Amino acid sequence: MIPDLLKKYAVGKFYFPIKSNADGILVSSNSILEVVQKLKEDDELLFDQLIDITVNDNLQSEAISINDRFTLVYTFLSLIKNKRLFIFTNVSEEDPNIESITKIFESANWYERECYDLFGINFKNHPSLQRIMNDYNFKGHPLRKDFPLTGYEEVRYDDNLKKVVYEPVDLKQEFRDFDNESPWEGMRDIISEELKK
Amino acid sequence: MSENFKPVTLNFGPQHPAAHGVLRLLVQLDGEVVSKAEPHIGLLHRGTEKLIEHKTYTQAIPYFDRLDYVSPMCQEHAFALSVENLLDIKAPVRAQYIRVMFAEVTRILNHLLNIPAFAMDIGAATPMLWAFEEREKMLEFHEAVSGARFHAAYFRPGGVHQDLPDDLCEKMKVYFEKFPDFIDTLEELLTENRIFKQRSVDIGILSKSDAIELSCSGPVLRASGVAWDLRKSQPYDVYSDIDFDIPVGKTGDTYDRYLVRMEEMRESVKIILQCIEKIPSGPVMIEDNKITPPRRAEMKDSMEAIIHHFKLFTEGYRVPKGISYVPVEAPKGEFGAVLISDGSSKPYRCKLRAPGFAHLQALHFLSKGHQLADLPSILGSLDIVFGEVDR
Repeated sequence: MIPDLLKKYAVGKFYFPIKSNADGILVSSNSILEVVQKLKEDDELLFDQLIDITVNDNLQSEAISINDRFTLVYTFLSLIKNKRLFIFTNVSEEDPNIESITKIFESANWYERECYDLFGINFKNHPSLQRIMNDYNFKGHPLRKDFPLTGYEEVRYDDNLKKVVYEPVDLKQEFRDFDNESPWEGMRDIISEELKK
Repeated sequence: MSENFKPVTLNFGPQHPAAHGVLRLLVQLDGEVVSKAEPHIGLLHRGTEKLIEHKTYTQAIPYFDRLDYVSPMCQEHAFALSVENLLDIKAPVRAQYIRVMFAEVTRILNHLLNIPAFAMDIGAATPMLWAFEEREKMLEFHEAVSGARFHAAYFRPGGVHQDLPDDLCEKMKVYFEKFPDFIDTLEELLTENRIFKQRSVDIGILSKSDAIELSCSGPVLRASGVAWDLRKSQPYDVYSDIDFDIPVGKTGDTYDRYLVRMEEMRESVKIILQCIEKIPSGPVMIEDNKITPPRRAEMKDSMEAIIHHFKLFTEGYRVPKGISYVPVEAPKGEFGAVLISDGSSKPYRCKLRAPGFAHLQALHFLSKGHQLADLPSILGSLDIVFGEVDR
């Protein structure tokens, strides 16, 4: 059940249906600050803990349209009401900007830095939007679907130069990414029927 | 501080025994008082989330052992539950008991590393040696069920990989009935120890509201006085059928975090003994060969079994479209995987929610205004393992 207070912010549904014990609404990226503020402060909602912020890159899913390359997934927990809530919001590839929620939840700081590092989402008014997981001089955003698994650069210690050197990735063997998926949908249908019993 | 002093910036780690792994900490000191502690993480970043996107659900399990490598099975538990939730299946009851039992063994293992490591950081060397002996005995139970001491890959979506060896329950019963004696001796060494208390009482105090605000979970949150445990509040597997208590702290200092972990070990022993008592017989994995592989013996004379085996280990099973998050109470706090499936046999996105990530973020808040020597005490009490922080 989505609380009535939040219903007016809903702008649609997240492409992937929610299968866990939580509610979720898709809001517009402009209203994120307002929604999060409400979540925390409204006496009926009382979502007092931010569990996680993450991003889904919709590039390879059927969901993609120009305005929603990335979906931000905020996970909240209410310790008082024992409830979980997902807040989804879309940002586009050309303009991956969204307001930072660090003013409301202090712990959003690192989660937002992580989203910036791995996906290139730009959080406005963030206290220190730097890379967190990757190397200080890393280029690109590795969790985007168009970033290759093997990356672009490799690092080694050069004994002659007595320092760590960065070189383009040189694969001694062609990268193997097997697609074993059967072109028939048989497996999927059988699973769902077996489960219905 | 007087105006003649300039703040000193100290580089702590990444190679330092009190850094608990590869933490680089930039500490700004005002005399001997910490004015800013800025953790630089990512030195152990392996891109687990990206790798999982390129693996089938079965192949993704071993990555979970390598996240928080001190408590491997609890993390497999989160993944198994999340996938089961997407598939809309439930593990057989016996499997659920086995999982709960071994999740608790893992919890004791984790605390038996954290407590003595914390004690070592503030001057006590003996607990480390004692606890490691007990850990080694407990790792034999891990080995008996899964064949591996740490990287078990034992909890699978749909149940557990193998049934328990015949005599394991009795062996565990004998061992865990005596185990509280070991906790007593460990407590004798530490709990009332003058030096230990001087270094931990009233250090790094985290109030109730701050702990919630800073996304803390697990023993860190409970030590601050919040009675919150996912095993009680959002029970998974058979935790709802088991009787145990949740230890809660009062002041939220590092000493309280130590006490909470000590008490949790006693509760874990209670849970394990109850599981041994209650465990029913039956299958340990759902018997649906579209999701779980057939038994080896069956494959010798059944063509269909061979086909299932081949399909499961090449294509894998397809998981219906959806997003699922089923967290577990890992020894360090709330661990879960935000799993997004697009209907194929590989996860579309798998975000790992690690408790240590949020706890390490709180380090600056906790250590501000403390002496430099208190920093290892605070760090030790947060139970940071870089496998899960850096992912």
